[in-house]
Amino acid sequence: MNSPLINVCDVSKTFVLHNIDGREVTALQNVSFSIAPGEHVALAGSSGAGKSTLLRLLYRTYTLTSGEINFCLSSGDWVDLGKLTDPEVVALRGREIGYVSQFLRAQPRRAVIDLVTRAGVSRGMTRNDAREQAAISLRRLNIAESLWEIHTSVLSGGEKQRVNIAAGLISPPRLLLLDEPVSALDPENRERAIDLISQLSEAGVAVLAVFHDLDAIARLATRIVVMSHGHLIDDGPVHSILPQLEPTDVHP
Amino acid sequence: MTMTKSPIITPQAAIRVRGLSKFFGPIDEGAIARTGPEFGTARDPLSGSIVAAWDVNFDVAAGEALGIVGESGSGKSTVLRCIAGDQPSSAGSVHLMCHDEGRTNVLDLSPAARRKLRIDQLSVVYQDPAEGLSLGVTAGGNIADPLTAAGWRNFEAIRVRARDLLDRTEVPLDRMDDIVRNFSGGMRQRVQIARALANNPPIVLLDEPTTGLDASIASGVLDLIRGLLEELDLAVVVVSHDFGVIEMLTQRCIVMQHGRVVEDALTDQLLEDPQHPYSQKLVTAARS
Repeated sequence: MNSPLINVCDVSKTFVLHNIDGREVTALQNVSFSIAPGEHVALAGSSGAGKSTLLRLLYRTYTLTSGEINFCLSSGDWVDLGKLTDPEVVALRGREIGYVSQFLRAQPRRAVIDLVTRAGVSRGMTRNDAREQAAISLRRLNIAESLWEIHTSVLSGGEKQRVNIAAGLISPPRLLLLDEPVSALDPENRERAIDLISQLSEAGVAVLAVFHDLDAIARLATRIVVMSHGHLIDDGPVHSILPQLEPTDVHP
Repeated sequence: MTMTKSPIITPQAAIRVRGLSKFFGPIDEGAIARTGPEFGTARDPLSGSIVAAWDVNFDVAAGEALGIVGESGSGKSTVLRCIAGDQPSSAGSVHLMCHDEGRTNVLDLSPAARRKLRIDQLSVVYQDPAEGLSLGVTAGGNIADPLTAAGWRNFEAIRVRARDLLDRTEVPLDRMDDIVRNFSGGMRQRVQIARALANNPPIVLLDEPTTGLDASIASGVLDLIRGLLEELDLAVVVVSHDFGVIEMLTQRCIVMQHGRVVEDALTDQLLEDPQHPYSQKLVTAARS
């Protein structure tokens, strides 16, 4: 197996709710695992197991309470994501680590093609290459060309989600975090999206993903990490773990 | 293992603020120790002096926007006005990469030299357009102002530049020769932004740029600012009590309460996982 791109070591996350009597809520406890380039790790576990918390910790949307998240930069240097300064995290996001959420974030008056093109440019592509790649992705995701110059705010939920995938996957970063990226898609468009996501592994991208159905995991994952009540309870190849999972184990 | 130099390259600061402080009235160390979030006030109970801002530090790079959030009276606008030179500061330093390559503390400059910075180095967009514009003058005339201050003399060239800027900020060109007082709030704000950008300043400070505008007008102005920010590679500081504005424009921000910075954070982190009790209160209030 390849040497890892990211090592999550003994990570815990506790929220301190200062305005509710300082109550502490522990969302993750002593979680350790790693991901190598080209691996697609699916996070399974019932609602509240800590899957999204883990994704957000890796993107530094959540601060780390304890443990280390060691990440290998494209330069070969290792950094602990939990100890980076905010400007360093900003510099890392996009090119090294990407996050595709369930919903397209607000950019009300941006044209579809422009939004995807800009995402590519922000990751170092030339404008022309990004435009060309954006067109390819949008076509593959079945976004009609008549919509390309339209503002994203008027798109349907499923269209927005596909535009979000196109933007998230263009010139992909080395680690991509996917938080239910195909949840709002009808079967045909879901197929297309899964097809595009499956190419990430071939391109050597390390993926950590939360899906809401076992079928997507079966089709995309190379490994499954199972979470329960903030603990990692299992970690192994798809063929050994998938048969033990119930549909409720992937419920968001 | 000891970390020496970070392997992550971060962009150079276009604005560097260190220890920036502003007092009203005589201040000693005791006054600093008796004010701030723990005491629930910026006013020293003994001397009556006010610590409007104490020890504010941040960097902003070109192409980046930093947000300053907090309630009214938290000191956020004071910080902005001290950087802009609208108010004298009491302590600290502000270095701008565009001025003397960042070697001079611009707080030490003479008032005249500070005013000169405002022509083509640093612009401010105020909440109240009346502060940034001459309401009795036409839109075109308002933009001509900073241009002539920067040495533009050719009338036709000034007209062309003004037209460009108004076009860019989506002000109908047939309104160019109308008095600004006759413009709507949203339109005035667009003219103010056009004027602020007249001489391509690398630094723009925004003080509640959309507060007081209707929601639909505000979102149009926000779109405009966001687009300009990306295209012009500006270094921006935006003061707002509105998390929608902060979320749309910034990637990092600081939270102020009673004149102190209580948290600095990535914007998404502040919204999803605020650390300080006051930040948690602000975010909860904004979300409910």
